[in-house]
Amino acid sequence: MSNAADLIHQMAEGDAEAFGRFYDRYAPLIYPLILRILPDPTDAAECLQDVFWESRERARTYDAARGTPDAWLVTRARARAIERMRAARRRRDALPLGAPRAVAVEAPAPPERMAGFDRSVLTRAFERLPDPQREALELAYYGGLTQTEITARLKQPLGTVKTRLRLALDRLREMVKPA
Amino acid sequence: MSVSHEPFDTFAALHAVGALDGDDLRAFEAHLATGCARCATLVRQTEQALARAAMAGPPEPPPSAVRYRLVRRAAAAGAPGRRRWLPWTLGIVAAAIAAGAFSAAYVAARYEARLGQMARQTAAAKERVARTESELREELALLRDPTTRMVELRGQAAAPGAVARVLWADGAGGLLLATKLPPPPPGKVYALWTVAGDAPRAAGVFVPDDGGRATLRVAAEASGAPVRVLSVTLEPEGAVAAPSGAIALAPR
Repeated sequence: MSNAADLIHQMAEGDAEAFGRFYDRYAPLIYPLILRILPDPTDAAECLQDVFWESRERARTYDAARGTPDAWLVTRARARAIERMRAARRRRDALPLGAPRAVAVEAPAPPERMAGFDRSVLTRAFERLPDPQREALELAYYGGLTQTEITARLKQPLGTVKTRLRLALDRLREMVKPA
Repeated sequence: MSVSHEPFDTFAALHAVGALDGDDLRAFEAHLATGCARCATLVRQTEQALARAAMAGPPEPPPSAVRYRLVRRAAAAGAPGRRRWLPWTLGIVAAAIAAGAFSAAYVAARYEARLGQMARQTAAAKERVARTESELREELALLRDPTTRMVELRGQAAAPGAVARVLWADGAGGLLLATKLPPPPPGKVYALWTVAGDAPRAAGVFVPDDGGRATLRVAAEASGAPVRVLSVTLEPEGAVAAPSGAIALAPR
């Protein structure tokens, strides 16, 4: 059992020190991911707090057979950040009755507009993907877009988008496979 | 396990990154509900690969206030709640109602997740409202108290630009409102001290938010003795019995 899994089990028993160690270990690694999705530092900090509190509250449900502690936490962090991003988008798009509604699909800002955060999360693994695959994967992973939304965004056939995502994820699995 | 498992291999990869939607999503969830180990493994492996890639970048420390708030909340909350039966029960009930139209496993998974999320959001919202109401009542009572006085504190060496006001009533305690506080160095927090008798009393610790603002509620002296001095120092995290660090705020 890894040390991180031990910490999760201790958290589940209410061990505040284990919770602090779990936070110290993961917060600096998770925060850049959340910042990439929620560029506003206040939003990102609130999201980070929610993610760790929820992780503590649900520590009892952690099952090592269903994934590593890393995946358990990162999957939650990304999901909560994307929920917040979508909620903000809905609030912004809530126009007065009768007004035309925006139909454009929002995507994350391109890297040149996110210079402060880009390098922090764009890992070598992502960089080594061919551009079309990386673009589709970033729209899905950081932008929370579905295959249909990516199709509209990139103006590419659905089949092409699926193939790019599939190839990107296959490569990613190979690249970050444990030695 | 068959050699060709399409389109489910593609669906599994896209599901792990949250990109699957429409008919593909419905088809894949129905397939997953049949217990396909190959797809479950592929989803898990893809999630793990994404997690490793996402965490491989340079670390970036979050604001220290987040850790402080979490640890303080954890210390007050005790062991995590065990009331996990509620979303499960609701999920199972939802599955039974819809069983005529969909497979029970598929619906249970979908509704359990949705109801669990709603239950979390509702509980968190109730807690926030109750906490805010309680805090506002305390602050209102302090403002109404005819014995309440206001003490102004000015930034000192550790926080030269900082300004703070303390609303204080000897019988009811007080409320510190500070602005323009710099973030405390790593491993340190701001500590408020009250002096009523001979020795200073630790009245609470805090870290400012990203805007340099901080609010701290302070209990009255147990003896009810009038407080003569209020000050704020920088202290190491953890229990500190007496002020030992640099002074951040002191009376004008």
